[in-house]
Amino acid sequence: MMPRLLPLLGLVLLAALLSLVAIDLLYFGRDPALQQLQQVFLHPSPDHPLGTDQFGRCNLARLSAAIQNSLLMSLLCVATAALLGTGAGLAAAWYQGWVDRCLSFIINVLMALPGLVLVLLFAALIPGSFVMLYLAISAVLWVEYFRLVRSATLSLRHAPEVEASMLYGFGKGYILRRHLLPKLLPDLLSLACFGAASAILALASIGFVYVGLKPPEAELGLMMVELLPYYSDAPWVLAQPLLTVFVLILSFNLIASGVRHDIGR
Amino acid sequence: MTLAVEVTQLSIYADEQCLVDRLSLQIRLGQPVTILGETGSGKSLLAHAIAGILPSGLRQEGHVTLFGRSQDALSQSELEAMWGKALAVLPQEPWLALNPIRAIDGQISEVGECVLQEPSTHSQGNAQRQLDRLGLGEDGNKIPAWLSGGMAQRAAYAAATYAGAPLLIADEPSKGLDEARRDQIGALLVQHAQCHALLTITHDIELARQIGGEIIVMRQGQILERGDAEQILNQPRSDYAKALIAAHPSQWPQATKHRQTTPVLSANALSHRRGGRLLFNQLDIQLHQGEIVGLSGDSGSGKSTLADILLGLLSPDSGKIANPLPRGQALKLYQDPPAAFAQHVSMGALLQDLIRLHKLDANQIPALMNQLNLAPALLQRPARAISGGELQRFALLRALLMKPRFLVADEPTSRLDPITAAQITQLLVKYAREHDAALLFISHERTALERICDRIISL
Repeated sequence: MMPRLLPLLGLVLLAALLSLVAIDLLYFGRDPALQQLQQVFLHPSPDHPLGTDQFGRCNLARLSAAIQNSLLMSLLCVATAALLGTGAGLAAAWYQGWVDRCLSFIINVLMALPGLVLVLLFAALIPGSFVMLYLAISAVLWVEYFRLVRSATLSLRHAPEVEASMLYGFGKGYILRRHLLPKLLPDLLSLACFGAASAILALASIGFVYVGLKPPEAELGLMMVELLPYYSDAPWVLAQPLLTVFVLILSFNLIASGVRHDIGR
Repeated sequence: MTLAVEVTQLSIYADEQCLVDRLSLQIRLGQPVTILGETGSGKSLLAHAIAGILPSGLRQEGHVTLFGRSQDALSQSELEAMWGKALAVLPQEPWLALNPIRAIDGQISEVGECVLQEPSTHSQGNAQRQLDRLGLGEDGNKIPAWLSGGMAQRAAYAAATYAGAPLLIADEPSKGLDEARRDQIGALLVQHAQCHALLTITHDIELARQIGGEIIVMRQGQILERGDAEQILNQPRSDYAKALIAAHPSQWPQATKHRQTTPVLSANALSHRRGGRLLFNQLDIQLHQGEIVGLSGDSGSGKSTLADILLGLLSPDSGKIANPLPRGQALKLYQDPPAAFAQHVSMGALLQDLIRLHKLDANQIPALMNQLNLAPALLQRPARAISGGELQRFALLRALLMKPRFLVADEPTSRLDPITAAQITQLLVKYAREHDAALLFISHERTALERICDRIISL
């Protein structure tokens, strides 16, 4: 029963974070950047369920905005990377020749750079830009999809089932739909879950070294680095973004462990 | 004569299903026993039960006595100590059981070092003597991929018998071998049986005839008949044994040769290399309507490559096909039926895809299914839930829908049991004759080709 329980736990954790966002939007709806300097580091109260930070900003509002930022970023990056990587991987394995050589060359160059360095490089071009970070993280993530799809398609391309469909006159779309995608899907989904986790971690890391989104934007890594000087005065405030990143990553990894099990049989 | 194994009232169950039903047998030194039966009839499980390696989840009743010691009284480590020294198993398709990246002499001498704790110099000398005796003296330094199927089979035999086990269990030893190689391994087993105990599990009646001794005919876990090899093979009493013997290619009726008429496909001066080796050079092939052409040759001799070139799946290095057929008119039946179908949808959905693509008449399916003896309920199932024989008939059904003019059958029956294999072959022959299609039949069974083909091309 263990493998069925863990992905469920992952979904519960993710749902808990989303309900935090929902509670904030429905019942409080404060501006995450609104400063009230006479109310610094208030303890949790019915008015501020998670207390306030060093500028008297509502922690719940900030955390909610940060979770939305992280999830939006990971969703966009994973979708882009999955589409780009799968498409390129299929093209490389199907047409081989110069298509494969060009794409594999680009991938090798990308892989020679540590992922975070690439993101830093992009982020430094236009500091604080959400779009730049999105492009950079997607560019790092699609490598995995490409490699997975390319090697799986290469071995399937000359498999009897694909060859038979070609002999019967079926086109590429049919072969993709009937033969390739059903075999690739379990791997792609678990890769998407891991990818979402690494996108969140990349965004937080970039924020933590002050290259990512700029204040007063609420972002998990940025919140950590801003709150770091106050760790002895208000450790419970610093703990909030830390714990959130931890729970987000954990939940995606737990879900990933279930995807293979359920769909991959 | 010394009793090597005594099996008393052995039954094997998976959940409630009975896989082997109250089987008793005795194997003595010098008196081989052969179990003859269809694939999936629980024959291999019996070998596992005797060796004490029955998969967990299966339940065993009855008694197995090995060299006078009851298997129940032996601990796991005592049982393991007997493996290699007292009993050895020659696995199915031994080229898969050998380590693919290690030279065979090392794999054989390793048995001496690990099982008998011999010094390595001693076991290397022994391994070389074994290889010399089996005619592999020059090939000890080769990895399995460089050996032919028969050579790999002999190497596996050397490794299995190195430790001198008096009891050898051979599980389908002739699977995937052509007749000459089957005779070689048969001769080895006969030699072994002269002074040792031998249990052979097979559905190959020629191998059973060669080994002789006692034959037990089994089907669905039941013993249908047992007795002396000569008697069973010459005067079988059970229907199944009769069918099995009748299904052997040597019993097939000789086909009347077909008059060559209109050409369907002609290829001129085909040459092709693979991995630097010339597979065929300046080969001219012409296939005619209703003609059945056999293609034989060793594995790796380019039979499938030639078929792929004729189908237009592969371009030859030189030469060309004079009149390539349009897509859907040149089709192929595959060796491994489950591998030839998409895995995630039902057979019905796959046939619908084909009907929609080529605007075929869906009403002909029930009649064809009836003709091929396929139950309508099978349409709801995906390929992996259908047996190999039924699936190969589905492959034929799929081909018949298209009314192809050229059909390649690439070892279409080598993974099927003999009775199903004979049925599929007859269906293919019937189709080719009735619909004036050219049939290229690839097989390593020379006898089968000689019976059904108008002519045979050897590569």
